[in-house]
Amino acid sequence: MLRYRFLFEQMVRRELRQKYKGSALGVLWYLVNPIVLMGAYALVFSVLLRVANVPDYPLFLLVGLIVWVFFSQALLAAAPSLVTNAALIRKVRFPREAIPASVATVQLVTFLVMLALVTPVALAVRGTLGPALALLPVIVALLFCLVLGLSLAASVLHAHFRDVEPVLAAALLPWFFVTPIFLPIDDMPGVSEHRLLGDALEWGNPIAPFVEAVRDVLFTGAVPTLGHLGYMAAIGLGALAIGIGLFRRMERELAVVL
Amino acid sequence: MKGGHRVEGADVAPGEVVLERASRSFALVHERSRTLKEVALRGTRGRRARRSSVRALDAVDLRITPGEAVGLIGRNGAGKTSTLRCLAGIVPLDSGRAECGGRPVSLLELGAGFHPDFTGRENVFLNGALHGFDRGQMEARLEAIVDFSELGDFIDAPVKAYSSGMQLRLGFSIVAHLDADVMLIDEVLAVGDESFQRKCLVRISERMEGGATLVLVSHDPTAIERICRRVVVLEGGAVAFDGPVADGLLFYHRLLGTERGASQSLRPAAGGPLERGSIEVVELELRDAQGARRRAFRPGEALRVELSLRCAAPAQRAVAALEVRDQRGERCFRTDTTIGSVSGLLEVAFEVPRLALLGGDYDLAAGVWDQDAPPTALLDRVARFSVTPTVDGEGVADLRGRWSVHGDASSGGPTTQSPAAEHGSLAAASRTARP
Repeated sequence: MLRYRFLFEQMVRRELRQKYKGSALGVLWYLVNPIVLMGAYALVFSVLLRVANVPDYPLFLLVGLIVWVFFSQALLAAAPSLVTNAALIRKVRFPREAIPASVATVQLVTFLVMLALVTPVALAVRGTLGPALALLPVIVALLFCLVLGLSLAASVLHAHFRDVEPVLAAALLPWFFVTPIFLPIDDMPGVSEHRLLGDALEWGNPIAPFVEAVRDVLFTGAVPTLGHLGYMAAIGLGALAIGIGLFRRMERELAVVL
Repeated sequence: MKGGHRVEGADVAPGEVVLERASRSFALVHERSRTLKEVALRGTRGRRARRSSVRALDAVDLRITPGEAVGLIGRNGAGKTSTLRCLAGIVPLDSGRAECGGRPVSLLELGAGFHPDFTGRENVFLNGALHGFDRGQMEARLEAIVDFSELGDFIDAPVKAYSSGMQLRLGFSIVAHLDADVMLIDEVLAVGDESFQRKCLVRISERMEGGATLVLVSHDPTAIERICRRVVVLEGGAVAFDGPVADGLLFYHRLLGTERGASQSLRPAAGGPLERGSIEVVELELRDAQGARRRAFRPGEALRVELSLRCAAPAQRAVAALEVRDQRGERCFRTDTTIGSVSGLLEVAFEVPRLALLGGDYDLAAGVWDQDAPPTALLDRVARFSVTPTVDGEGVADLRGRWSVHGDASSGGPTTQSPAAEHGSLAAASRTARP
């Protein structure tokens, strides 16, 4: 595996190159998406509906959105990646994990760029420079484990069952709305009446603790709860283990099913 | 990488290729059509059993020793490419064992492993990476690869701008410089022009001298015959023949049922600037002493050239001509004869009782024309044949001389050749002259 490090590097370069080929703004396009979403949601929830009483609401939205955009874009890009590279898989023997892994890594790079832009803004506006910030790399690493595990699983499943990508695309929109991006779960008016629903939103959605933890660190300047930290570690490492296991099992026949 | 498929076991030496009872079937209904709905309705179990499947490899046994070159031939669908893909580890076996000792490198398709938007140079790195090389190792090879490919400035153009011949040049150059222990090459060399093909074969044989093994799939008997001593004919996923190349090609041609008619002209009769005369060479056949159709001969064998003619109009003074040219296109021999008045269908033959050519590839060109009607002197059919290389001499003509040494050697009297050394090499002569 180690001797294929150069392959991985080449694949990442290839992906990056493909993405930004012929685009003037290049990587900046990836900032446009969350910023446009931020503007729209700030308008709807803060100005029009007036449900959000969070200070610096656009920044609150943006921090959650970049986590979500990373998660969803990586899954959507990884799912069809093996099919897209069918020609390569059918003709050359190499570790096929490199394909979805490089796709997820490219999304990670974009995520890190956005994080690098948002973090100083958050620190300045919210004054959150403190020891909690040291947890950010750990949270990002665990988030990447989750994304990588799901990417491996989604890509190999999609290679065998071609409806995985459309199912995923359809699921991501409702998934987005049940993820606490617009409001902290406790601020949601309905949650105080249905406690169970609140718990389901918080613990039944693997991406929710990551959104909240990144927000805790960057926006609130607080250390995430121990429960969230443990949950993230379990979800991240568990997803990675399952993703690798599934990929190993299902990649043998790839050259035949593609 | 998953280790399950290719175990680099102690029993497989670098360059050794082993197939043991190797079997692989493919579902006839392509699994591409499988959707979640289907799986939900029928379940994943038993799917394989219910569908009809085709056995691409059926208990294939094959053992290739390091440094050997084996040509893999067979009809379409006989399992040639499947065999290569199983050996390359791309497709797993259902049962049995497929192993390549050391580092296998495959060239299964033109442009395999290329990214069309990348330049040739970048693709050299990508391709090397796919085979497990790192940047430093590829940088060390880059110059040799670019030189070998003869792509010149095109190396910095994106590969999508390449012709198929250029893709082959680059693809082969990369593969040829990856220090492979086993080279698996599928039917791609045919795209290259004559001179590059020859260069590839020379490079392959150099690698083989270093202990590398070649498995070459090709429909081109000339290429197979040039580089491989051993041929495996696959039929229906099983080994139908495994042995010396000349016998193998003969076996294969018999299998194809092309011993007759394979060299029939399929050119449309209609004109153009190269409008033939009224006499057409419909068929050009090369046969051996037994009358079997052959394209490979040994020096000294009998060769019979048969021309089947069709005369659109009767001709009074027909002339038939033959010419043999060597690889460089130099004329080795030419003859013509007046065959007089001809009409309808007829056959003309030219007998060579003893083929006085040394090893190499030759083109035999033939033509028949009417001296009274232009165009004349048109050699419009060409058949390529090869002569097995021997150690008896170098050049083109096989003079088949005998060495003898006279002098006052202690044994006394003139020494004559033993029958075994009839073809006369110096080594043999000095051996018999020694007291």
